[in-house]
Amino acid sequence: MKALSIATSNLRRFMRERSNIFFVFIFPLLLIMVLGSVFGSGFDTRLGVVALGQGELTEALVTGLEERDEFVVQAPDDRDTAVRAVERGELEAALVIPADYDAAIRAGGGVEIDFIARPGQQGLSIRRTIESVIADRVAVLRIASFVTSEGAAEFDDALARAAAVSEQVQAVQVTSTISGEPVVFDRFGQFDLGAQQQLLLFMFLTSLAGSAALIQTRRLGIARRMFASPTTVRTILFGEGLGRFGVAMVQGVFIMVGTLLMFGVDWGDPLSAIIILLVFGLIGSGAAMLAGALFRNDEQAGSVGVGLGLGLAALGGCMMPLQAMELFAPTVWTVAHVTPHAWALRAYEELVLNNGGLGDILPFIGILLAYAAGFYVLAIWRLRVVLTR
Amino acid sequence: MRAALVIAAKDLRQRSRDRSLYVFALAAPLALAAICSFVFNPIQDFDFTATYAVVDDDRGPLAAVLVDDVLGGLAAQGNVELSQVDSEAEAARLLEDDGEGALDEEAINAAIVIPAGFSANVQTGQPAELKVLGRADATTASALALAIVQGYARELDYVQGAVATMATLDPASLADAEGVAERAVGLPSPVTVRDVSAGTKQLDDNTFYAAGIAVFFLFFTVQFGVNSLLDERHAGTLSRLLAAPMPKRSIILGKAITAFALGLVSMLVLVVATSLLFGANWGNVGGVALLIVAVTASAIGVMAIVAAFARTPEQAANFNSIIAVVLGILGGAFFPVSQAGGLLASLRFATPHGWFMQGLGDLAGGNVVDVLPAVAAMIGFTVVASGISLVLLRRGLSP
Repeated sequence: MKALSIATSNLRRFMRERSNIFFVFIFPLLLIMVLGSVFGSGFDTRLGVVALGQGELTEALVTGLEERDEFVVQAPDDRDTAVRAVERGELEAALVIPADYDAAIRAGGGVEIDFIARPGQQGLSIRRTIESVIADRVAVLRIASFVTSEGAAEFDDALARAAAVSEQVQAVQVTSTISGEPVVFDRFGQFDLGAQQQLLLFMFLTSLAGSAALIQTRRLGIARRMFASPTTVRTILFGEGLGRFGVAMVQGVFIMVGTLLMFGVDWGDPLSAIIILLVFGLIGSGAAMLAGALFRNDEQAGSVGVGLGLGLAALGGCMMPLQAMELFAPTVWTVAHVTPHAWALRAYEELVLNNGGLGDILPFIGILLAYAAGFYVLAIWRLRVVLTR
Repeated sequence: MRAALVIAAKDLRQRSRDRSLYVFALAAPLALAAICSFVFNPIQDFDFTATYAVVDDDRGPLAAVLVDDVLGGLAAQGNVELSQVDSEAEAARLLEDDGEGALDEEAINAAIVIPAGFSANVQTGQPAELKVLGRADATTASALALAIVQGYARELDYVQGAVATMATLDPASLADAEGVAERAVGLPSPVTVRDVSAGTKQLDDNTFYAAGIAVFFLFFTVQFGVNSLLDERHAGTLSRLLAAPMPKRSIILGKAITAFALGLVSMLVLVVATSLLFGANWGNVGGVALLIVAVTASAIGVMAIVAAFARTPEQAANFNSIIAVVLGILGGAFFPVSQAGGLLASLRFATPHGWFMQGLGDLAGGNVVDVLPAVAAMIGFTVVASGISLVLLRRGLSP
């Protein structure tokens, strides 16, 4: 079929551009990997504990902190390193246990532990937990100090008695029950959300950037020569559209399969996932056709295309997740739905989080098809006029 | 030198007519910054307050201390909001009730339940319990509630232990258990936690994204100056320049000046525009100026290496884009790579972008002097990269 040969020559031109190897294949995977590493594994509360001295009590405190699930305890070299790490976002908080911790407590005196965190509620929560751990570890010592201060016994004797008594005293139990589901985007696998976002971003972007090829076809006179041959305009347009679609699909399939193999990304029900992919490919290629029709030189198309592609993707939830927008910024969430990206992301959320099937995503597919139809209608209408210009 | 300036002036005049310069240098970054600001602003302004439901089935003295003194104290400081609820069942229902979303201001983030008979149990040495009900989607608030209640429980254990220990040593003290308890509470814990919170050496979201976008596009803007060398060769004007009575280095210098001027002006415009339009807060003027000069110079250096290797303008543009993107990602211009920890977080120091963002962050919590390490690192990049590219260019600079 003629349309098919037009399409294949497009694809071949696309694959021959060596810079495409980076932008189409390496870059998306690199980005997904980095995104998953930075954001994907949930937020660990990293606590840096700097123990300036040594001793049984110091060690007991550090162990007590390490045993808590809330923290991931790290050991910065010194106070300055710890403070800098907190300031730079490498740690959520830091604790500096002074060198005389053991000695001061045994002597019945007081000791101060410095706590550094960025201001905010998380810092408060971390501090309270630390205070609770400390209270636990120094309870017996505190009783001993008190008894000594009451004059009832000498410190060591008091300490022994306090230890014995503490074994027998009924501690107040605190039970904690957590209910409900974690925040939506915590329920995705580490790389899942990033993969979805970048799939849509890149399919659209690659398509738009590829519109330059269509413009070249016009400018170099290839379109005119095609038109001069016994080929209908319809065939030429269909061939070009198919070519754009092919490019979009190469990008999309590569990312989907690549992330599945390399990062174990869950795309949900395979048939439904592929259908969303196909429809979004139509959208990307439709947009590319429209760009190819509207712009006159490929540099223009390149820069505006990239800008528009990135902008729409950002708005549509490919940078700040839709789920975050829904929680924190409902207005933005509503505006996001102007873009096709948002609808496709919602379809994938349905597949991955709610184990949805084809039936569940039909409404989204419908909306996405409308976008595709819109782009194509506008593009073809315009291209009929300018194809040979 | 004069020759270099003439070349630069000519180039700048030529470039000013190139529309794509304005797109890359101004329009694209500003548009992207606008969208990022629109998307991220509401999230930054979002106010986290923990709202706790308090169920006091006990109404005893120890419950009152927890509710009025401990929790009440926190509420007075503005960190939490309290809501008295009649029963545990009601609290559980409120927790499950989604409202507008977990972080809706009216939603309950956690519930603290003091069962009936709590005070009596504690005072008579019987098992006693406090309950904390939390939500999986409000982990910080729930964790804080738990920490507060645990802290209180430990305090109660201490007092009990003190009274009991006194009793073993001096049975008469039991008669005045309350007095003993009061004095025990009065004795401060030997260990106190002193909050020495950091001045934030971290950029707020708006500034972070404005800076990241600006530095990312900078590496495209300077290409217009650097790649002009290849354009001239392609157009045939390079041989005429080489034939002119001026040293080769004037040509290279002229191109470098062009790139520097372009980069500097575009960065300045972006700094001003994002500050005025999107509320970015770049910080101390002197520090920002130093950082901009340093990063522009390093951008030119890095892009020049590519120009030295490439044979055609298209090749150069492609490689430049690839390098600009890779350095941008690794340098944390798109998102805070420092949070990833490990190798990824350290790699950012192998890029000028990483040092630029770091410098801005250090400036945010300090003063001009704090940017010097970052500036020095970026100058280092410039020197090394320029050195390499100069050697290559002089050899390759032939008609």
